[in-house]
Amino acid sequence: MRIPKSIRWRLQLWYGALLVAVLSGFGFTAFHFARARQLRRIDEGLQKRVSVLVDALRVARPAWRTDVRPRPIFTPTQAELFDDEAGHYFVIWMQGPEPILSSLVAPAGVPKPGSGDALPRMRGDFRETFLFAAPVNCVLVGRRISAEQADLRTLAALLVTVGSAVLAAGFFGGWWFVTRALRPIAEISATAEKIAAGDLSQRIGTAETDSELGQLAAVLNSTFTRLETAFAQQARFTSDAAHELRTPVAVMLTQTQSALARERTATDYRETLESCQRATQRMRRLIESLLELARFDAGQEPLRRVACDLAKIAAECIELIRPLVTARGLTMHTALSPAPSYGDAERLAQVVTNLLANAVAYNRTDGEIRVTTELRGGIATLTVANTGPGISAENLPHIFERFHRADLARTGSAGHSGLGLAIAEAIVHAHGGTIAVVSEEEKGATFTVRLG
Amino acid sequence: MRILVVEDEPDLLRGLTRSLREEGYAVDTAADGEDGLCKAETVNYDAVVLDVMLPRLDGWEILRRLRATKKTPVLLLTARDRSADRVRGLDLGADDYLVKPFDLPELLARLRALIRRSASATRSVIELGDVRIDLAARTISRNGTAIVLTAREYVLVEYLALHRGEVVTRTTLYEHLFDDTDDTLSNLLDVHVSNVRKKLGHAFIATRRGHGYCIEE
Repeated sequence: MRIPKSIRWRLQLWYGALLVAVLSGFGFTAFHFARARQLRRIDEGLQKRVSVLVDALRVARPAWRTDVRPRPIFTPTQAELFDDEAGHYFVIWMQGPEPILSSLVAPAGVPKPGSGDALPRMRGDFRETFLFAAPVNCVLVGRRISAEQADLRTLAALLVTVGSAVLAAGFFGGWWFVTRALRPIAEISATAEKIAAGDLSQRIGTAETDSELGQLAAVLNSTFTRLETAFAQQARFTSDAAHELRTPVAVMLTQTQSALARERTATDYRETLESCQRATQRMRRLIESLLELARFDAGQEPLRRVACDLAKIAAECIELIRPLVTARGLTMHTALSPAPSYGDAERLAQVVTNLLANAVAYNRTDGEIRVTTELRGGIATLTVANTGPGISAENLPHIFERFHRADLARTGSAGHSGLGLAIAEAIVHAHGGTIAVVSEEEKGATFTVRLG
Repeated sequence: MRILVVEDEPDLLRGLTRSLREEGYAVDTAADGEDGLCKAETVNYDAVVLDVMLPRLDGWEILRRLRATKKTPVLLLTARDRSADRVRGLDLGADDYLVKPFDLPELLARLRALIRRSASATRSVIELGDVRIDLAARTISRNGTAIVLTAREYVLVEYLALHRGEVVTRTTLYEHLFDDTDDTLSNLLDVHVSNVRKKLGHAFIATRRGHGYCIEE
């Protein structure tokens, strides 16, 4: 037989089987107990009558009076024993197989018991007991027990009926209970199905938050929420990436279509090619950044971690960016104490360069940039502070998000893809470190990198 | 026809400007939102090509503020193509919407349609006596013979034809035919009018002394 897979059916089967076992165990015990008690009562009655009969025979014919034909002589009380509603009868044999005497109510043709027969014996509807005793050869007392057997059958029927009713009640009660207990599961599965179909805004609405299923629902709901957030972020990231690629494509399309509309001078063609090159370079930078982030996301970006000094890395980066700082009329202050760490120097340089480029790009004229490195509580720490317009409280929490720009239109023309800080964060996180920013509007911004 | 292009990506701005000038439009440019709004509010442009993502003031805001004073046709350019963005642009009063990257010929066609619509000419052909002006193809023919005009001459005829029956002042013509890069003190306009008269007949453009020019209906 195939066992149903559903929890409801398996539960039903299990406790159905348990209920059947318990009920039948009780039923059989009760029935057997009743039957044994009834038989014992009947047998006691028969036994008592056998003794009475033998006594009555001995009174009538003492052992020494072999001439008198044996005939029981009963006292009135004894006589009542063989004249009752149960229909007790007796049969008496001498040596021969034919009885010499039987009571009036005795059925015809009662066979003489053999000396080896079991006591008492059942013969159809009759139960009989016997004794081989003087002064006769054998006395037998019996009675019809069909009424008692009918009673037992009634009891059995009653037990079966009540048992079935209890079983049915148990089964339906169990069904109701299981249905009730499993209802949240149905709800969970319906919701999960909707989510699987793509509607991530669905949540399991369950009032019983105390039960195990309620807790499960709460856990699932929070998982769904995280899933929805991650999904929305991913969708926004993809759409932002596509959007960022659109502008350079628009440049190339417009420039080439315009240039091809008629004959041009060599200078015109050169200008067109130059603008196409700028657009292509921008796309290349964007694609490289996207791939880099994707590799960090997938945990596939290998880090070549060696013992290095954040101060040395910072010093090299500062030298590289100094011409830009001077060109913008900014002043650079440095305080580089040794900050030994264990990391990928090339990657860390990328982080520092990125923060420096940001500090240059978002600075006021004749502003300042302050770079410090030190061991703070045993942790290599780098700070880059600028005197720019700062970041508004509204933008601050999103500053490390991909494609987030305080000024939405500051698109890649200056080389900012909007991914720089996201990549810096990814690198620092891959090193097990943290990157944070403190800023107030009009008061500049300070980025702090701690390499755990 | 004078057009303002507001676009912060310099290469895109340059390409658009070159093509529009070659089509005979007078083109002014703005590289950020504030400059764009300032120009759009002071000059009566025939159309504005407006990028949505702009530094300082975004396209939506420019559109909202411009619509308080002017009905200049606006063609929005944007990299966002969600229908919600399109709906927002059109609701704010944009007349058309083009998603980057776009085809230059499509942009030019949409601009022509915008200008035509704003002069309430729904048909793209204007017939004035024996002269036939095809606004879509930007060609003019007389008695079935194609007449070759320079881009500037064509735009002069188109502007007067779209405002036929009205006297168009020299100042208005200067404003619509020449951009910031042209020397407005020159006699360029007289030269163009004279050339058009040579090609389409002296009576085609009437001079109203002290007022301006006019094409009779």
